[in-house]
Amino acid sequence: MSILEAQHDLSAFRQEIRNWLAEAVPPDWKSRMVRASNEEFIEFQRWWMAERSKVGLAIPHWPLEYGGAGLSQRHLIAIADEMARADAPQSRLFTISLIHMPGTLLPHGTETQKRRYLSGVAKGEVWCQGFSEPNSGSDLASLRTRAVRDGDHYVVNGQKIWSSNSMYADHCLLLTRTDPNAQKHRGITYFIMDMRSPGVEVRPIRQANGRAEFGELFLTNVRIPAANMIGAENNGWRVAQATLASERGVISFEGGERQRYEIEAFYRRSLETGAAWLRDAQLHREFISFLAEMQAARRLLRRVLEESNTQGASASVLPSIVKLSSTTLRQRICSFMVRVSGVDGQAFSLLAEEPFGSPMFDFLSAFSGTIAGGTNEIQRNIVAERGLGMPRI
Amino acid sequence: MATSLMETASAPDQATLDALRESVAGVLAEQCASTAVHAFIDGKNALDKALWAQAASLGWLGFGIPEHFGGLGMGAEGLAILHGELGRHTAPGPYIATLSVAQTIVETGGDALCQTWLPRLASGELSAAVPATLDCDGLIRTGAGVSGQLRCLGAADAAFLLAPAGDDWVIADLAEADITAVPMWDRTRDIIDVRLKDARPIGIFHNVEATRAVLTQAMALAVAADSAGGARSITERTIAYMKTREQFGQPIAGFQALKHRAADLATKLAVADEMVRHAVQRAATDQPDAAIWATLAKSEVTESCVFITTDCVQLHGGVGFTWDFDPHIFLKRARLNEVMIMPNAALRDRAAAALADITMSGRSALELDV
Repeated sequence: MSILEAQHDLSAFRQEIRNWLAEAVPPDWKSRMVRASNEEFIEFQRWWMAERSKVGLAIPHWPLEYGGAGLSQRHLIAIADEMARADAPQSRLFTISLIHMPGTLLPHGTETQKRRYLSGVAKGEVWCQGFSEPNSGSDLASLRTRAVRDGDHYVVNGQKIWSSNSMYADHCLLLTRTDPNAQKHRGITYFIMDMRSPGVEVRPIRQANGRAEFGELFLTNVRIPAANMIGAENNGWRVAQATLASERGVISFEGGERQRYEIEAFYRRSLETGAAWLRDAQLHREFISFLAEMQAARRLLRRVLEESNTQGASASVLPSIVKLSSTTLRQRICSFMVRVSGVDGQAFSLLAEEPFGSPMFDFLSAFSGTIAGGTNEIQRNIVAERGLGMPRI
Repeated sequence: MATSLMETASAPDQATLDALRESVAGVLAEQCASTAVHAFIDGKNALDKALWAQAASLGWLGFGIPEHFGGLGMGAEGLAILHGELGRHTAPGPYIATLSVAQTIVETGGDALCQTWLPRLASGELSAAVPATLDCDGLIRTGAGVSGQLRCLGAADAAFLLAPAGDDWVIADLAEADITAVPMWDRTRDIIDVRLKDARPIGIFHNVEATRAVLTQAMALAVAADSAGGARSITERTIAYMKTREQFGQPIAGFQALKHRAADLATKLAVADEMVRHAVQRAATDQPDAAIWATLAKSEVTESCVFITTDCVQLHGGVGFTWDFDPHIFLKRARLNEVMIMPNAALRDRAAAALADITMSGRSALELDV
């Protein structure tokens, strides 16, 4: 029986995934990815996507008519859970392709756009997101990248930043300003941009953790066909809400589960080797404290998933509360790991595969949680204003 | 540990528990409003006695007691709802001591003790006391009796005391005991000094470790639930106040510095609630790791509650420092909760030791349903 054939029996479905993962995940993949070059990382990511595709797990959550398997959220959670349990590679190169692109195109794209672009992902097409700009971060709606109509094209000039994996992307989900005189939310238009268009230049941004996952996009007289507009002209802000809402917590859930296995393995190793930190009462208590918080965080992530299928999901601030707690917990855990690892933990080690490489690398990488996807400060505004009803002044 | 509760009663379903919460919350909102609690701590009413009588008549005192012993068989989940709501309203009365003793009798007392004491505890006829800290030396055996002095959590008219004595735990009759109420900063709770001379043990628990473990777990769940309820309540009251208090021509709830603190409190509350729910579920389903999560819920949630109540005093500004506003009542209850049972460091050390045992035996204490 194949994995997809077992979909009507969730425990059999899980067992089939488990069997497949036992065969498909190379036991040495993590050690190979340590210090892998960018090219090797990309090649590995594409290989893993192809492996997933062979068993129908490349785009399992998409509708059948667009090449997916139409699986439910329960199935996606089971897949994520088994991937975490098996310490299988994550498809990080394809996050935008798998989540944000369909999350935008399915509700707002034309039939032609859906036929043209959705099928490409299973074949390995990579998407990136052109939302933030150097002067438009938390205040995203102030974006200034300009698109001007010219016949059946738009001509785009401007600059985008924090665009993950844009160096390797085939397409970009791009927000532009088409009406500079309108109120800021009402003059934005959403496009699909071919990353190979003349005038697109990508420069990688080196991060504090040594890696360069993000790119900066310089757009100079880039011509985008009007047919590549998603939704109507000047209606891009509304379409962008679909992009931002498309991640319904499965990735965070999987991250929480991976962290659980990481911490448990670390603890078991510490017990077996009689690690010094176990004899330090304060450190030991700190560990047990964040373990309790980790368990609470895992439960909260489950509640977000449950809630995501309900009517009130779009108004709930629970995802913001969970982001605040999970990302600050991650920093506490990483800080603990740095402290118990001594000087060795700070030996320079640049890992292409995160999480859970070297302590200092993980500690530095953990800032992406509190800054990306709406900074924690923006999340606090959301919780206070929408959740607690505190006035916006 | 054996839970005769689980064997004798099917677990209450979610609809039953929701109805239970609604009913308890409704009664407490009426009886335990801020004005009534303020009057009580100023000695102007007998809210504790009135509420105890009402709790008894509504069956609250039998939430954890199986039906055939006169209770309602609501299990750990029912008890957590009750303690959470009592905490929300800073309700006065010896609930934690009495209900935790009842739980210990249910789980380790054997049939004779259950039949003798549980119906009388469920009916509210008797209340019980326990040592304020469970890692105390306890009483000593003097011939057929027990003697000694213990600082206890419980009302001055408590009928009996569950405490360690020599090699056993005993239920000591307090009829002849010398009892002195200890004035506490937290006036919603009764702490008493109990002096016993050759008091009659009316029940003996020979399995000392099991008894201590059951009582510790029951109290830990109760204190954690009380703290989580209290923290949420004072946070709601504080945010409501911030929406009405104006400075610089606007409600102070509009200032971003304060909004961010309120959001952090809301986040801590969400985490605290999940810690309590997790511990309660592990206990209700009798998991081998239940003791770990109960002790951790107590240590983590009581400290969160101290942080939250402290911040709520500060967020109130000047009036937060007055006797007439609510924050100090919650803060004082939070501080007492924090040190109850045993120091949080000791609870964490116990949890760590149990976690190491489970982990080294090749099992996991971290399993969760997906």
